[in-house]
Amino acid sequence: MSEELLRIDDLHVAFSTRRGMVEAVRGVSLNVGAGEMLGLVGESGSGKSVTGFATTRLLDAAGRVTGGKILFRGQDVTKLRGDDLRHLQGAAMSMIFQNPRAALNPIRAIGLQIADAILTHKRISKDAARAEALELLRAVQIRDPEARMNAYPHELSGGMCQRVMIAIAISCNPSLLIADEPTTGLDVTTQKVVMDLLADIAAARGMATILITHDLGLAARYCRRIAVMERGRIVEEASPRTLFSAPQHAYTRRLVAASPTATSRIEDLVTEEERERYATVVSKPRQEPAHGTPPLLEVRKLAKRFDQGSAAVADFSMTMAGGESVGLVGESGSGKSTTSRMICRLIDPSEGDIVFDGQSIGHVAARDFHRSRFRKDIQMVFQDPNESLNPRFTAFDCIAHPLMRLDGMRAGDALRQRVEECAERVGLPLDLLPRFPHQLSGGQKARVGIARAIACRPRLLVLDEPTAALDVSVQAVVLQLLDRLRRENDIALLFVSHDLNVVRMLCDRTIVLRNGGIVEQGESRTLFDNPKTDYTRKLVEAIPHIETGELLAAAL
Amino acid sequence: MLSYILRRIVATLPVMAIVALFVFSLLYIAPGDPAVVIAGDQASPEDVERIRQSLGLDRPFLVQFGSWVWRILHGDLGTSIFTNLPVSAMIGQRLGPTLSLMIVTLLLTIVVAVPLGVVAAWKAGSLIDRVIMGFAVFGFSLPVFVVGYMLAYIFALELEWLPVQGYTPLTQGFLPWLENLILPSIALGCVYIALVARITRAAMLEVLQQDYIRTAKAKGLGQGGILFIHALKNAAVPIVTVIGIGIALLIGGAVVTESVFAIPGLGRLTIDAILRRDYPVIQGIVLLFSFVYVLVNLMIDVTYTLVDPRIRY
Repeated sequence: MSEELLRIDDLHVAFSTRRGMVEAVRGVSLNVGAGEMLGLVGESGSGKSVTGFATTRLLDAAGRVTGGKILFRGQDVTKLRGDDLRHLQGAAMSMIFQNPRAALNPIRAIGLQIADAILTHKRISKDAARAEALELLRAVQIRDPEARMNAYPHELSGGMCQRVMIAIAISCNPSLLIADEPTTGLDVTTQKVVMDLLADIAAARGMATILITHDLGLAARYCRRIAVMERGRIVEEASPRTLFSAPQHAYTRRLVAASPTATSRIEDLVTEEERERYATVVSKPRQEPAHGTPPLLEVRKLAKRFDQGSAAVADFSMTMAGGESVGLVGESGSGKSTTSRMICRLIDPSEGDIVFDGQSIGHVAARDFHRSRFRKDIQMVFQDPNESLNPRFTAFDCIAHPLMRLDGMRAGDALRQRVEECAERVGLPLDLLPRFPHQLSGGQKARVGIARAIACRPRLLVLDEPTAALDVSVQAVVLQLLDRLRRENDIALLFVSHDLNVVRMLCDRTIVLRNGGIVEQGESRTLFDNPKTDYTRKLVEAIPHIETGELLAAAL
Repeated sequence: MLSYILRRIVATLPVMAIVALFVFSLLYIAPGDPAVVIAGDQASPEDVERIRQSLGLDRPFLVQFGSWVWRILHGDLGTSIFTNLPVSAMIGQRLGPTLSLMIVTLLLTIVVAVPLGVVAAWKAGSLIDRVIMGFAVFGFSLPVFVVGYMLAYIFALELEWLPVQGYTPLTQGFLPWLENLILPSIALGCVYIALVARITRAAMLEVLQQDYIRTAKAKGLGQGGILFIHALKNAAVPIVTVIGIGIALLIGGAVVTESVFAIPGLGRLTIDAILRRDYPVIQGIVLLFSFVYVLVNLMIDVTYTLVDPRIRY
């Protein structure tokens, strides 16, 4: 290893909360060599971001380093104060964050925001700083940089914003960059472009990087060394190859199993020990609908135009049989969410028709659809379980509400029984029912969202990125749950996602959308193995793959 | 931008029209025959009839309203029943003191309240924060006239640092002008300072939690740069809103403050006019205040677009 740049020694970080001190990091030791790219991987709450923030001294006011040392070029960062600290921040060490749009000041032109960083650390004129900012915009490959200097963050795409963040971070040539989930929330193709750019810049400038991510595949692709964190500790540190072929720690094994790869199946997403329970369900063959049964859902030439804009969706047609699962993929802005919202009748289509179970429902106004008898049959699971549950409703109320509204049930024993049935179906412990959303974990909230959606026994479930906000291990469980619901209850699934690995596992068929139109569709496996259009190929290639084939061969 | 301001000005016309209608109806909303009301208790039936004739009160309501609006558009606010002077001249004489009082109060408020709010938010939960917010609650709960008499007693009567009451026009020197306005402005500004400080603190607390503040820290920016360049401007929209709404508060407060400190301003004129049932004067003042308020609102909206590029015009 090259010269040591950063050494973290037995770091402890605690947060004071209403319920007393909570240790977020408990004894982390790490080292990073000059110019090295280290992956720090773990799920939410593992303490990986807190470790990063402690290193750059950006912890919240409630957080405190309670033990250990962070030595940066031999100097203990935790003891720096005043000017010494400011010379470190942004100059010797910088950081980029998740959600780049929120990380930029919304009312300050991006050129100024880059120049701010330069002017803080260099004694140069404002004009010189502006010139440097422009150079940096060029370095991060922003098109038309002169014009973009005066742009505001809301005028740029997420990927562009992250490039601006990178420009700010590298503006003073730091020797260490900490990237906290730099591409989470970006489209797969953008994700690849941004990560490639980051890796190139780091290599060209000899900048060491710590890549903090929940995505093992991403870390494996860009880092030579990966440290896996769980509950505030580093449980394993190894090269990606060793990590995937011979994970030592039980948690790493679970994480590796739960990370979907190009060839994994839904039943692969758990470790060997957990697999047995699931096997009994999968072996049960799904009932093929009898020949000549009309499709459950038929969408004809659907189009949506928003005010004065071009069409968000145009000429979209598809059919779905009962119990079938169809994936709808595409980058942000491709119209996949708009389409799914029209199909579940939350917004009105501008043109075309939707036929459900032989009845046209496309012309029922979205605001009246709640009175339609089909409202029960078409239900939706929303993207972010944290945002889509009413914070003042308990889990019980959440599941009971549609039963009262749509099935006309009254509060009482029958209702309680139905709610408990639903909770059991989605594997939600019954003692959690009286809790409010903020008292539940992400996975538990996702289950409440699904239980609510299946409460009225729908025949079609529309899922809009249901696992995008979840950790991989929770995602694995949710995916298995959805697959089981489909097999056991014959619920058709329309699955909207940008995560192609997930779609390939869960869906029989996949439809690829771009700019509001269908680019390609077909049986999932064929479509992903032999994409016919360049666009689909680009999407497939952008997925961070873990080269399992090679790794397996090496392990054998 | 210019077309936006023009459009906004056009949009205020209906508002002003409704205000004018309301102001004009004042005379008719008051119980009894307007002519009798104006003429007062001791008037003979002939006097009443003469007033009715001279004011055109015998004509239909809308015709009266139309000719009233027409005259106002030509700068004629009518003649005071009591003094027989043109209303516009009477208002003109009193405008200086009131405007002075309001502007000094406004500046005092912004200069005191915004930094207090910023510091309170920055040091949230600390002793400084609690002291500032404690003061805010205190300032909120004291009526203007209580604060006014207390200040006059301490600083004017006991310490003799400042004049007890009265007003000196700006033309007679800046310092004498300011000396007379300090106590009234503090008295009038108390509630206002408390309000703006609280809103500033709340808005800043919200902004300081945003990701881009963390980015600013990560860049190595100093505390001042973070608070005033990155945070305060982002928190500006609610603060500007409250400062604007507060101007309405100031108008009401000015009436009381001018009485306490014997300032010959519009507030005093308003009270005198109301007591004398001098309707043309009341109408003129109310119309003026409404106009100022609509103008302030327009300025707030324009300020929004200057502060926040995401607000489109």
